[in-house]
Amino acid sequence: MQEKMENQELDQFKPKIVGFLCNWCTYAAADLAGSSKMEIDPALTVIRVMCSSRVDHNLVLTTFFSGADGVLIAGCHPGDCHYGAGNYYARRRYALLKKVMESLGLESERLKLSWISAAEGNRYAEVVNSFSEKIRQLGPNPINKMSGL
Amino acid sequence: MKAKVGVYVCECGPNISEKVDIDKILETLPGLEEYREIELVVKRFGLLCSGDGKTFLEDEINNNGLTHLVLGACSPRDHDKTFIGVCKKTSLNPFLYKIINIREHCAWIISDKDKATEKAITYIRAGINRVLFQSALLEKKLDINPDVLIIGGGIAGMEAALSLAARDRTVYLVEKDDHLGGKAVLLGGLLPRQGGGPAKIREKIESVLGNDMIKVYLESELEGVIGFLGNFEVIVGSPGDEEKKDLKVGAIIVATGSGLADPAILEGLDYSKTDEVITSMDAERMFSKEGKISLKSGGDPKSVALIHCVGREEKGYCSRICCNYMIKIAGYLKDQSADMKVTEFHRGLCLPDKADQGFQKEAEGRGVEFKRVRELTITGTNVRYEGMDGKSEGLKFDMVILAPALEPSEGTEGMADLLGVPLSESGYYQEIHQTTNPVATSIEGVFVVGAAHSPKGITDSMLFAQASAGKILSQLIPGGKITPEIKVSEILEAYCTGCGNCLDVCVYGAIYYDEGRGISVVNEAVCRGCGNCFGSCPSGALRTKHFTNTQLYEEMREAIR
Repeated sequence: MQEKMENQELDQFKPKIVGFLCNWCTYAAADLAGSSKMEIDPALTVIRVMCSSRVDHNLVLTTFFSGADGVLIAGCHPGDCHYGAGNYYARRRYALLKKVMESLGLESERLKLSWISAAEGNRYAEVVNSFSEKIRQLGPNPINKMSGL
Repeated sequence: MKAKVGVYVCECGPNISEKVDIDKILETLPGLEEYREIELVVKRFGLLCSGDGKTFLEDEINNNGLTHLVLGACSPRDHDKTFIGVCKKTSLNPFLYKIINIREHCAWIISDKDKATEKAITYIRAGINRVLFQSALLEKKLDINPDVLIIGGGIAGMEAALSLAARDRTVYLVEKDDHLGGKAVLLGGLLPRQGGGPAKIREKIESVLGNDMIKVYLESELEGVIGFLGNFEVIVGSPGDEEKKDLKVGAIIVATGSGLADPAILEGLDYSKTDEVITSMDAERMFSKEGKISLKSGGDPKSVALIHCVGREEKGYCSRICCNYMIKIAGYLKDQSADMKVTEFHRGLCLPDKADQGFQKEAEGRGVEFKRVRELTITGTNVRYEGMDGKSEGLKFDMVILAPALEPSEGTEGMADLLGVPLSESGYYQEIHQTTNPVATSIEGVFVVGAAHSPKGITDSMLFAQASAGKILSQLIPGGKITPEIKVSEILEAYCTGCGNCLDVCVYGAIYYDEGRGISVVNEAVCRGCGNCFGSCPSGALRTKHFTNTQLYEEMREAIR
């Protein structure tokens, strides 16, 4: 009985995912996926930043505390950063954030970092669709359950 | 005063109008008015980027007295500039406008029209929420200095100087040696036929020295640099000379060339200069001075081993030019005596230019032997090698000539530090992009050319030099002005503790420490606005203009409401 209810809840679950995309590579990849008319999960909302390195800990954690079920950070491939080395900083901050999330009781899989170049519209679609599916499996952000949102 | 936000949804022909229910968007948005205490003007239009569309927007901004503008349309990568242009014709500051990409990010990727409409509403609401927290920013225009500093008077530096001087630019050419011409002028001859080679380099030196637009400073070095594209102030000094020259330039070209790795540090090689084992440069010098290559013990060698790829493994890169010049040196030896036994030991030949293979075939025709090897050790002038068939053999020669790897010239690290240009793993300067932007560096206005960029021969060095001159001539036009990036970082003095974290992470060297005030300060003309410093600030003193925390938080909160 309880299981059935949970299934129903899951069916109704519409994940809310925020994608912080770097202006130069991944935002362009998202545009390419769009102009190639690829089908992409509407769960993700794009927020454009100039560089993945701008996505600091507070921004990610605030996004989770505000109720997001998943956060994607995506930028240029290593070595291709428009600003030289921003993505390396993003990677380090991401590694640390994963640990912080676990200690807060948030599944660290809810945060994803990807390198997607301006030419990889295909890859963008794959990453967003598979990540959205992953978040569907994980279910709602536990913070939402706790606060009764 | 209540904010009055104009929201205009572009039909983009059928692109948006057929995939998204625009009327539903228009009906839904006014619900925001009460919640945000704003006044909204919400309309749709056929094609906002058309001439009619631009006039329509201009009129709407003026007639309605809009304080903010939000467009539900295409990607900012397509038409941000178009609509910034519209704003500039009105009293609305362009930083109080935002384009929302409901075409690529909704209409074209969500086939279910209801879902696409819902998503478009989310995006537009998030955009309205963000724009309300955006601040008007003002562009600053700066005068530029069209003059150029070139560091290094080798072939690349001279070529860049001549190209710039031909367009009446004042060029300051700083060379640390007592002569111009760098490595090229020391060579015995140039490819493909040695004839007249070094004389051509000397001609270039004469052209540089005779050019009124080029001011040459020999035995001088760069000692200090501050500033940015269009406005650098540099200090040039000579060792032992108290007097320093302060120069003002708009761009800097680094043409400090390459050095040769010291073969003595390499394993498996018994190298000392008293021996009959010499480097390719020793051979070039000998040929240049005496017109032939002789044994140290006197007399001509009867057999010479030419060893390629000395240090390639250790350095981790191919030096590009050695295979060619070793074939050239074999040519000197064969010219000297057709009977001389000349053997080239290589690990696979690198012959990238169109004439190179013919040059190698010609050498083979003259009896030069090419042996591809896997392993090789040298003891005295005995060469022991393992061939591609796995068999080992030893051969005795009168003389051994080594082709050591090229490496960044001495002082590269210090120079990189001074200029703020990062170095790549190989130790050479890091360009913006190896394939698509090889001469520019992350410091706008600083270019790297010639063998300072990566191992290069004379031709490629000159091409890079010409490319940098072209970039400078098109970027720095006399009497012109430049508009530095406005969306830069700033540090709030009241919060800054002067910890210096931001200085460490800034790849542009755009942040400096103000000792008097004990805080870090952003040089706004150098900052490019990536926002990396933001995450390094523990005290909340940093702000990234137009990408502030408040702006991103408000956009994000509405996006997941």
